[in-house]
Order: sequence, then C-alpha cells, then structure tokens
Amino acid sequence: MKARKLPLIYPTAGFAGLLFVLGAMWYAASSQNNTAVYLLLFALTAVFLVSIPHTLINLAGVTVTLESAQPTFVGQEVSLPLEVMNDSRATRHGIEVALPGSDGEHPRIDYIPARKAARVTLRFPARQRGEHNVGTLCLTSAYPLGFIRFLKKFASSRTYIVYPKPEGDVRLPSSFMHRREGNPLTEPGEGDDFAGLREYVHGESQRHIDWRAVARGQPLMTKQFAAEAEGVLYFDFFALRLVEVEEKLSQLTLWIIEAERARRPYGLRLPGNEIPPAIGQPHFHECLRTLSLFQVETPHTDPILSSVRRA
Amino acid sequence: MSTSMSKSGSMRDRSIPRRPLLWLAAALLFTLPPMFGSLVRWVPYVFLLALAMKFWMEPRGYRLRFATLKLILAAMGLFAIFASYGSLKGVEPGISLLVVLVSLKVLEAHTAREFQVMVLMGWVLCLCGFFLSQDFVIALSLLTAFALLLVALIQFYRGSSPGAFWPPLGTTGKILVQAAPLVVLLFVLFPRINTGLRVDFRANRLANPGFSDRLSPGSIAALANSSEIAFRAEFPGSTVTPPGSLYWRGAVMWNCDGLEWRAPYVPVSISSRGQSSSNNTIRQRITLAPHGARWMFALDRPSEIPPGAILARGDYLWSIQTIRKARRYEVVSSLGPARKELTPGERREALELPPSISPAVRELAQSWTTQNSNPRAIVNSALQFFRTGFRYSLTPGEYRKNDLEQFLFHRRVGFCEHYAASFATLMRLAGVPARVVVGYLGGEYNDLGHFFLVRQADTHAWCEVWLPDSGWTRVDPTTAVAPGRASLDLHSFLERGIASGQMEARRSGFLTQLARSRLFTNARLALETLSYEWDTRVLAFDADVQEVLLDSMGLANRGTFVLIIEILIVAIALLVTYFGWMQLRTRSRADRVKTSYERFCRKAARLGARRDPWEGPSDFSRRAALLLPDQSERIRQISDIYIALRYAAEPASVAVALDGFAKEVRAFGRYR
Repeated sequence: MKARKLPLIYPTAGFAGLLFVLGAMWYAASSQNNTAVYLLLFALTAVFLVSIPHTLINLAGVTVTLESAQPTFVGQEVSLPLEVMNDSRATRHGIEVALPGSDGEHPRIDYIPARKAARVTLRFPARQRGEHNVGTLCLTSAYPLGFIRFLKKFASSRTYIVYPKPEGDVRLPSSFMHRREGNPLTEPGEGDDFAGLREYVHGESQRHIDWRAVARGQPLMTKQFAAEAEGVLYFDFFALRLVEVEEKLSQLTLWIIEAERARRPYGLRLPGNEIPPAIGQPHFHECLRTLSLFQVETPHTDPILSSVRRA
Repeated sequence: MSTSMSKSGSMRDRSIPRRPLLWLAAALLFTLPPMFGSLVRWVPYVFLLALAMKFWMEPRGYRLRFATLKLILAAMGLFAIFASYGSLKGVEPGISLLVVLVSLKVLEAHTAREFQVMVLMGWVLCLCGFFLSQDFVIALSLLTAFALLLVALIQFYRGSSPGAFWPPLGTTGKILVQAAPLVVLLFVLFPRINTGLRVDFRANRLANPGFSDRLSPGSIAALANSSEIAFRAEFPGSTVTPPGSLYWRGAVMWNCDGLEWRAPYVPVSISSRGQSSSNNTIRQRITLAPHGARWMFALDRPSEIPPGAILARGDYLWSIQTIRKARRYEVVSSLGPARKELTPGERREALELPPSISPAVRELAQSWTTQNSNPRAIVNSALQFFRTGFRYSLTPGEYRKNDLEQFLFHRRVGFCEHYAASFATLMRLAGVPARVVVGYLGGEYNDLGHFFLVRQADTHAWCEVWLPDSGWTRVDPTTAVAPGRASLDLHSFLERGIASGQMEARRSGFLTQLARSRLFTNARLALETLSYEWDTRVLAFDADVQEVLLDSMGLANRGTFVLIIEILIVAIALLVTYFGWMQLRTRSRADRVKTSYERFCRKAARLGARRDPWEGPSDFSRRAALLLPDQSERIRQISDIYIALRYAAEPASVAVALDGFAKEVRAFGRYR
C-alpha cells in the first residue's frame, strides 16, 4: 500500500510530563541562575529535539500490506492479517498498527530487521453486518523516547465481510417450510448414530467439535450423526414470523450454519434474490454473503472510518 | 520479530520488563551522591531501600497497592522530614520530601506507562542534585544518571528487541552526540531570562565552610580536615610560580579580645593608591567557590581591585555583594613592602587591648620591652619565646577567649589561630601596633592545569606588626613553632609529620601509602584539572558572562525573541540535516533499482513501447526489443540486471551491479 502523505506528528501522554519537567528545570535555573541546571535543561531539550528525526526515520521505508480477511459474524472478532514490511537497511523498532475508529487491540511490533517483514493480526469486534472497507490503516511509532508519535497513513481498498449474527431457533425448519402457514415443523436435526467427521464450518455451534482430535493437534473437526443427512431445506425470508429484518437475517444465518453442518442441501429466498438449494463451502458463503449484504448499499462504510479519511 | 498486543495504544496491560528496570535502577543510583552529605542521612538510605525492595517485589508481582498504605507511608515520610529538619521550608526538606515520594512511586509503579513517569522523576532528581551541589564529581555522576535514564527509556521502547546492553547504549550515544552541538548552541546563545523570582534559601548552607569574621580558638583547627575547595588561582602571564610562601590575604582583624579577634562587620573602604613599584607585582586569576559571605582572596597584598569589590582598610578585598555562586576575578598584588603611614587613629586602634588580661601575661610583655625597646627586637624576643616548649597541634583542646595565660604558660599546645592571636595580643601589650590577618597559606600546585588549588584546610592566621622602618610587616608566629609549615600546604606538612613521628597519626598507613602513590596523585591532579575546567568554563558561564559574549558577537541588541527564533531556525536546520543523513544511510537499495527501472520504462514509453501494469519485466523486454530493434541489446541487458537485482538473492557485488544498471538506463535511448 502506498503511504498517503507525510507522517503526522502528535504528542503522547508522556510529552506533557516532559514539558512539566522542562518547565521545572527552566524555573529552577532562571530563578537561581544555576548554570548546571541550565546545562541539564538544554541537554534534555536537545535530546528531545534530536529524537524527533529518529522517530520519523523509524517509519521510513516501512509499509503495510493487508491480506484477505476471513469473513466473520457480528459479535465475533474481525481479524485482519497484515504484513508490515521494512524495506530500509536499518532495523525498525516499536511499530504499532492501528485502524482508526476501531476499538480493538493495537498490535505492537517490537522490531523488524532490515528488509524483513513482520506478520501481525489486527483484531477488533465486528459490530455491523455487511461488507466494510478497511479504509485507512495507520502505522505509528514513538521510538526511541516515546514523547512524540509519528503516524503514517496507508489507504487500502481492501474490504472484509461481516455476516449477520447467528441467532434464533436452533432447530431446522422442515422441508415444507416454504409453505406460508403452520408452525415450523421441526425434526430433530441430529441423530444418535455417529457417522464420521467432517471439517468444522466457521461460525457453527462448537458443541460437536471433536475436541480430542484438536488436542492431538489435528484441525477442527465436527462429529456428524446419521440422522442429519436427509431432505432438502428451503429457507424463506417471507415465511419467517419475525418482525425485525435483522432478526430474520440472524435466524436464516443460524439455519444455514446448522444445515451446512448437517450436510443437508439448502436454498435461500430473499426479496428479489433466490439461491437454489445446494451444499458446500462456496454455496454456504454465497448464502451468508447475500444475507450480510441484504438491504445495505455496498460496500458499507463505517461513519467513523469515513470521517477519519476526510480528516 | 516478536509482537505484542497493547490495548488501545496505551501500554496499560504490560508490566515493566526487567531490562529497562535494571537500567533505570542504575540511573537512579547515580542520582544518590549529592544526597549523601547534604540531606539528612536516612533519606538516601530510604531511596536505596526502595530500589532494593523493587527488585525483590517485581518478579513476585508484589507492589504497593493500597491507597491507605501509600498515604500512611507518605505521611510517615513527611513527619520524619519535619522531625529531622524542624521545618518543611527550604531546599533540603523539599528535596527530601521529593526523594521519599519518588521512593514510594518506585514501589508502587507497576505498569509500563508508569515507566516513563519514573524516568521523568529521575530527571527531576538530577535537577535536585544540582541544587545541592554543582561540584564536578557530582555533576559527572548526575550527567551519567541523565544518560542512563535515556538508555532505560530506549531499552523500554525497544521491547523484546535483541540486545540488552550495547544496542540501547549505542542509540543513546548516537542521540547524545547529535544533541551535543544543539546543547552548546542553546547553552551559549539561548537567552537566560531572569525571572526575578529569586529565593534566598542557600545562605545558611553555604556559610558554614570557610572562616568567619571572628577568629576564636579552634575556629581554624575545625577547618583543617575540610577538603572543600576554597578557590583556585592561576598566574596568567607568568610561567613561574611566585617565590616564597603563598600567603592569601582574606581579612584583617583589629578588635582584640585576648585569644579571640574580630574583623569589623562592615569594613571601611580605602582607595588603592599606587603603593608600590610596579615591577614587583603579580597578576592572579582567582576562581572563588561560593561561600555565602563577602570574602575575596588575593596574594598578600592586593593593589589593584577587581570590579565588584572594594579594598578595605587593612588592604584586603571585600565583595560588594554576597558570593553565592562561583566567581572569577583578576587581581594584582604587590609583593614588596607597603610604605604607608600609620594615622594616629589607626595607631590607637592597633594598640587597643581588652581589660581582662592577666598580670602574668602583662609581665611577660613588659619583660621584652625592658630588655630592648626596639620593636624589631621585641618581635624577635617574642618569637624566641614561642620557639621553646610550644607544640603545634590540630587538636589542642578547648580554650576560652580569656585562656591566654593558660595557653602561654601551662598547656602550650595550639594551632595557628592560637599563636597568631596570642602573638598579636602580646605585641600590643608590648606597645607594638599589631593586627591579625586571616587567609590561606599555600595550596596545591596542579601540574596539568597550571593552577593552585587552595582548600579550606589551608586556612591560616598570621600577624602583622607596624615597624617604623618597613610599615606593616608580616610575622607568622606559627613558623616559630612549626618551621616548614609555611612552605607547605597543610596536608603535605601533616604527612611529613607522620613520617617523622612528630605529629599525631591521623590516617592509617595504607591510606597514606595510597595517597602518595604516583598513579593516585596523577589521577587526582587530572580530576582537579577537569574540575577546574568545569568550574571556570561551564559553571562560570552565567547570564552576565553570556551578555558580554553576546555583546562581543554583536548579538546583544537583537532582542530576546529574535534570538530565540534564530536559534530555533538553526536547530531545525540541524535536525533536518540529521534526518537527511539518516535517510540516506538507511534507504533501501531496492528503491534505487526501482527508480532506475521506472525511468527506463518512461523512456521506453516515449520511444513507443509502453509497459502494461500487469506486464512482467521479462515479458516487457521481449516485446520492447521487438518494438525497438535498434535498442534491443540494451533493453535485454537492462532487464537482465533488473531481474537479477530485484529478484535474485543478494548478488556478490550489489553496488557495482547497481552502478552499471544506472549507467545503462542513462545511456538507453540516447542514440537513435
């Protein structure tokens, strides 16, 4: 990514302390005409001033690259994997990555040797469904003295997607669900006979994860049960007897996860959009993506993020 | 490349890592020396204890958590300081309080953010140290603390970067070296605005070393162990040291009270007439340590007065203002005898005696007068009297001011003040006008710095008697008792005394050996030279000296504001230079390769072969070679080098290849 402008400079909390100490030294020196204190005052001032170009240079040649982010659900954490590259011929120290407007952790990279890269993950809570622009990424550094911080902005066109929060009735509707009337006839959804393992689907319930396999170092697997694999499901937006759109989307999301977990083909019908029944990861993600983008202008932009970019 | 997480930019979650803490502790240890000796003894020990506790507590996760406990400890500290000083006002109680609070903070601090606060507090402790003392050794220690605090801070921000010792030291060194010109610039040119908020709280502390206007028995002996520096003297313009003993004249005492003598509270000023021939004068440059009084010193006897001083009756210097900071002045002394008339008033004053003189003492003086009424003969008989049976000692025991008889006939042990006082009193009894002079005798010559170092231990008292043929004449009765004292400084004299077994052994043999060893002497002389330079070149550069300097540079009438702006401009220029230099040193070579290649692409586009953004360099070179057949060889070469530089693992000679590449790109498209 290309840096937007010259790095911005702003004082840290320690700067106030430094100003106070310098003020105290100045007062002491001038009221007592104490030459040694003057020397101390000027030494501290000079050291602070000299640290400014050091901090600035600490960001020179450092760039950040975003990698594609995994989709996530509202209420979970967005993790943006990114690579901070040091193209310079010197080691860079104490670089923090921040995403303005997100209140997550700021990963701090203690050091990157010359021409090496560090991988970090930016994590913050997903608040709203939809496709979000990452917008501006910031690299900041206060090294070596920490009294001022330089901030370099990187514009990114990368987006990440947040699926609606899976919520509602866990029981899958019957395959006749597309009929408008009647209670959703449910079926157990889970049998008692163990039928094998399959890969864990992101977002689904963790109840059936084979934790013993995880403990052995294997990837996340879900136990499948015999009764699951039967019937085609059709999830209909109009058939839901819920009031709020978001509630409906949450219910549909939950069902999609459950259906995928149960390995039963499922279709989705939304106002103006219909996805024929199928099964598998691409279908799963297509459905969830359709749900997350439902009735929002794409790509969705956080008001906070856009304000930062205007600034 | 280790990474760590921190919450919302702050470092609240992290506790202080061990390495920066060690550096911080080392730095804080260096702020201790000025505290010892000037604060109440327990204060620095409390500080040391807190540091030690911190190292015990930190790995165990203990810290001072409870607000009530903190308050109780702070209140205890406050009470203890009040109990020790009797008041909370003044500089020492204030600094003591600060040290106690810093100790508590050290015990309490736990999170990373507080680390910066502790470093800032360390700098405040440096400031306090300079308030207590500006001695060279102290300054060295405090400046070391200053630098170590910097190291601690840098080590802290380096986080888990490799290297606990040299890398942070190296960075600190780099910053300090780069800061040095700026420090000099600010120190020399930055206006020292006087706020006029002067608080006089140092008088009571500085008045104790050195002598007072009263010469009482034991007052000089009390100084004999003080190695504190009184002043340093250079002899500009002459390479040889003046002949004879160096008697540094400080004050003249007229008022006699037996064994006690006193100088006038406010001396009477006299004008310095050309008293002596100009060929026997010596110019001295004296750097006076602040002593909180008005004494100024010069070789016996000053004839040209430095500015800011008067010549008092009795030919000694008297500063117009109290000397609270190191002061440097030049003075000319005439070594020849002073031809001066004694006015009747002065004569009366120089013969005045207290009523409480015992008959035995009167009888002694009378016996000399009846022997020979010539004043010179009286002086000689008195010296003869002192030569037999008297002992010179640092610990003569206690005398009161009326113990003249006791001293002269019974105990007969004394230090210079006893001899000077009793001798002058006896002279007055015998009808010879006499007065006591207090000052310093000798001093240690520093070969490296070519100056004399005079310590408080060199304080001395001697007499002057009025002889009709030579005027006021110096008589040092101490030399009659302890011949050789006058030609040596006190320390050398005492050392010699130990060797001959005549004086009380005051030091252990080992220390004496150590003090006499060549290495130690050289080191001491070097330290004293540096100390002298620190005092004369750094400390003496105060607002007044700065004004003179600015005046000579033609900057004085610029106005403070303009000067500050100018300094700022120079400072910014310096910082930009540093930045450019660092940029040049660390900029990646890959950038140069890329710039050159982009230039090549631009040139090729002008010639008609535009590179598509998705086109790889080798694809492009093939296509461009077809489009531009007359440049095909060069295009292929440029592309090959570019690929090699960009994608191959570090080639053996990057620089050579890079230069060749740049040359090729320059040459490209030239002949067509």
